[in-house]
Formats: sequence, structure tokens, C-alpha cells
Amino acid sequence: MATDPRAMATDPRAVGSVIAIGLLAATASAFASDPAPAASHHLEGDWVRTDQNHSGSFDGLAGSFAKAQLTPQGQADLQSAGRPNLRPLIGGPHKTGQAYVVVQTPCYIPGYDGGGALGVNPDSGAIHIVESKDQVIIAPERGGARVIYIDGRTPPDGTHIIPNGSGYGVGHYEHGTLVVDTVGLRSGAVPAGGWRTPATHLHERFELSPDGQHLTVHYTYSDRAIYVKPHSYDYTFDRLPADNAYALEDWCDSSDPKEATSIVPPPQQ
Amino acid sequence: MAHQAMSIVAAALLTIAGLTGAAAAPSASASAAPVDLSGYWDLAIDSRYVPHATLLPSVTAAMIATHAEADAHAVRWCNLLGLPSLMDPGRPLNIRQGRREVVIVANIMNTQPRHIYLDRTKHISNDVFDPSTTGDSIAHWEGDTLVVDTVGFSPTRGLTAIPGGGYRTDSSHLVERFQLHNKGSILLVSSTWTDPKVFAAPQTYVYRYYRLPEKFDPAPANDCNPFDATRTAFLEGADSLETVSHGH
Repeated sequence: MATDPRAMATDPRAVGSVIAIGLLAATASAFASDPAPAASHHLEGDWVRTDQNHSGSFDGLAGSFAKAQLTPQGQADLQSAGRPNLRPLIGGPHKTGQAYVVVQTPCYIPGYDGGGALGVNPDSGAIHIVESKDQVIIAPERGGARVIYIDGRTPPDGTHIIPNGSGYGVGHYEHGTLVVDTVGLRSGAVPAGGWRTPATHLHERFELSPDGQHLTVHYTYSDRAIYVKPHSYDYTFDRLPADNAYALEDWCDSSDPKEATSIVPPPQQ
Repeated sequence: MAHQAMSIVAAALLTIAGLTGAAAAPSASASAAPVDLSGYWDLAIDSRYVPHATLLPSVTAAMIATHAEADAHAVRWCNLLGLPSLMDPGRPLNIRQGRREVVIVANIMNTQPRHIYLDRTKHISNDVFDPSTTGDSIAHWEGDTLVVDTVGFSPTRGLTAIPGGGYRTDSSHLVERFQLHNKGSILLVSSTWTDPKVFAAPQTYVYRYYRLPEKFDPAPANDCNPFDATRTAFLEGADSLETVSHGH
């Protein structure tokens, strides 16, 4: 590279190099103020998961992911699982206007602590990310809050973690990408045919698009007892406009009988 | 004498915490925040200064009883409880201050996190906002005090009882002032409720939170199962240990 300023001024390649270096320096300095474990604040805001393959359904979305390759133990765990509060349809077909009772315990899923998997694998409800100096909070509108420690701590020994829906997550920033390692998740299903237990290790990378408007979370589950090889997939999110955005309250009254029933379509004209 | 001493202490606390001011000044994001409120904060037995509220004469005993019954229903059915109980949930509060908002996590099953926006100077329009148990909170800094202004409450959802007396309605207005003391080891929060339907005078109380150690690890949220028969028996006033342990 030219070192003579006069030469640089007349050599387009040198000028390009200077600009490129300048841009790199500017980019680097944007993240240089985020030395781990300090928060980047780039992720902070409201996000909605996108239907990246235009499938139109949750099953369709996960259907595009590579299927989890499970060990015999993992297959057995998955097959023995089921959502515990769903009620099989009884009788029917019902007449128009007559709802099915589809949930045994409306608004309440036994074993689900609300902190949970929604903060790990969000559904169509928005998530709200707050980056403080020592924690990243992911608050899904469906309830609960996931805490990711970014204060440099190491997770306690697994025997000292009470399994829960969002596990025990520690994170750090790598050039603006939030990297999170989590253990202590409560046993449960994982998208694309996976399974998890408190011993399963979840590795996530939260990567922001250059314009800051799109977020991709890369998930990788590792557990030799469950997976033949690590199970990976991505979720993508769009940032909601900051103006007039607020966290909706997902209200559900377990005393309301309608919360237990299927939707009844209105009479057709 | 004790009452007099209490009044002096209360007056001092209130003077320190400040009582006036709504969220009218321009907001400032956490990047310009003079202090960081982030931490785990705990209430102790000596943490609450709660005077009796002065209610309007139009607030009858029957109205108070109706709200108390609705509150019991909310607890019984594990409904979202919201404000003001979210600020005194029986477990440490996790307060985290970001650049755009301050989030408060009560870490119990039947609350959602509370979002306090630092980047808005106006409340969400009534045409758009869906009233909730926590309302719409916006905040700005006055010196080193975070002043939080909240409206948009649901009159029926959650636990509506306000410390000292009264209840929240759709016309309730809450102004809180968050202030660190004792080198950041104490957080004073004064809460002032006004409501033309309920209070004859603003109802102000003060909570004094103790900061927990930096590496504090909270236990996961407790379960709240509205279909637990023994829990229901207990809440409905079962008259013996045997009934409580076996349900109805």
C-alpha cells in the first residue's frame, strides 16, 4: 500500500484502500465499544418471528429444517412426550356453533413455568429484548422472561441448576453477535423432531443484519444421549417499528370456559 | 408518639423521593442515564411506608367488597396480577436498564415483565393501546431520579387493590419516582396514584428496596396451578389441615 500521501491522493486503488480501511475501522469501532461482556444494545427492541419459507404454519416452518437425528434414547424420550394438557376430541362431529373442548387446563400447562421455551424458541407473539450492562432479557408476549447473563460468570454445576423453561444461559458478544450457551432447560420438544433435557447444551448466535432490521438466531443442540449429531436450525425475526410499539398483554383467564374450547366460526351468510 | 415518629420518617422519605411531577419533560435514553438501576432488589419487613388512602365519598363499602372479591378471583385462577402488586411480588425484583427501556421482572408465574419506555414522551393513543394490568409506562430522568408515568390500566383484570386502600380503574394515573441511595445499595420508589373515580387526594406510598449481591441467582418462578384442588381448598378457607391437604 502507498505510504506517500501525494501518491495516495492520485492512486484510485490507494484511495479505495483508505476508504475500505476507514469503513472497516468505523465498523470495528462501532463494536469496539462493546467489549465482552458489556451489552451491545444493538439487539434491543421488539421482534417478530418471520415465516422464512412462506409455509403459513408452524409445522410448515419447522418442516423446512433438517430433521433431528436422534439416538434410540432420544427417540424413546420424544415418543413418550406429549403436551400434557391437551384433551382428545370427544364425540362429534359437532353441530355448527358447538365448540369442542380441546384443553383440559386452560391457560395452564403443567410443568411449564412461563419463563420458557418461548424465550428460547419464540412463536408468532413478539419478543422484547432488553440489553443491560450485565443481563440480556428476552421477554415474550406470551409471558415469562428469559435471563441471559453477560457478566462473565460461568454456569454453576448442572446439579445446582433447577431445570426451567429458559435454562441457565450465559452470553458474550463476538463483534456484535450475541453468543449464548445454555444448559438446565426443562425436558421438552425441540423444533424439527428434537428433544432436550436439563443436560442438553444449547448454543445460540444472535446475528443482526447490517441495517439492524433483521435478526437471525442460529440454534445448535448438543447432547450425546439424544442426538447422533448436533441439531441445528435458524429462526429469523423482523424488527418492529420503535414508534408506538409496546408490549401486548397476553391475557388468558383460566376460569373462563371459553378458554378451553375450540373457536366457533360465526354463522355463514 | 410512635405515630409521630412514623410521620417524621415518612415525611423524610417522601421529601427524599419527591412526590411531584408527571412525565411531561423530554425523555432521555439510558445512554444518557445518570445512574443505572439494574440489579436484583428485595423488600424486607421494614421496607414499606403505606399510609391510609383518602377515598371519595362515592366509593362505597359495597364497591370495595366487589373489588376485593374480584382480586381473590384473580389470585385463585392464577390470572396475571399486574400493578401495583407486581412491585411487591414476595420475591426479589429483577430490574434491568437498557438504552430504550427499563424492564422489571417479578419472577412469579402470574405476572408478565413490566416495560418502562425511555424513548417515548407520549403515551400510546387510546385508540391503539389495549388496556392491561400494567398499563403503558413512559419515563424520563429528573437529575438522578427516574420518573415513570403510567396510564392505560384495565379496570377489571388482575389484582386491582392499591396499597393503603382503593383500587385501580381505567382512569387511574400512576407516577413513580425511582431513586438510588446509600451508594446504590438502596432503591427508594415512591408511587402516587390519582383517580377521579376513587381518590379524594393522591395516594402515595414508598417502598425501600435492598440491593442483592451482584451474582445473586434467583430460583425459577414458582408454579401457579389454578387446577390444584388442595391449593383451591386453602384459598377458599378450608377449616382444617386435613381438608387443605386433600382438597374438596
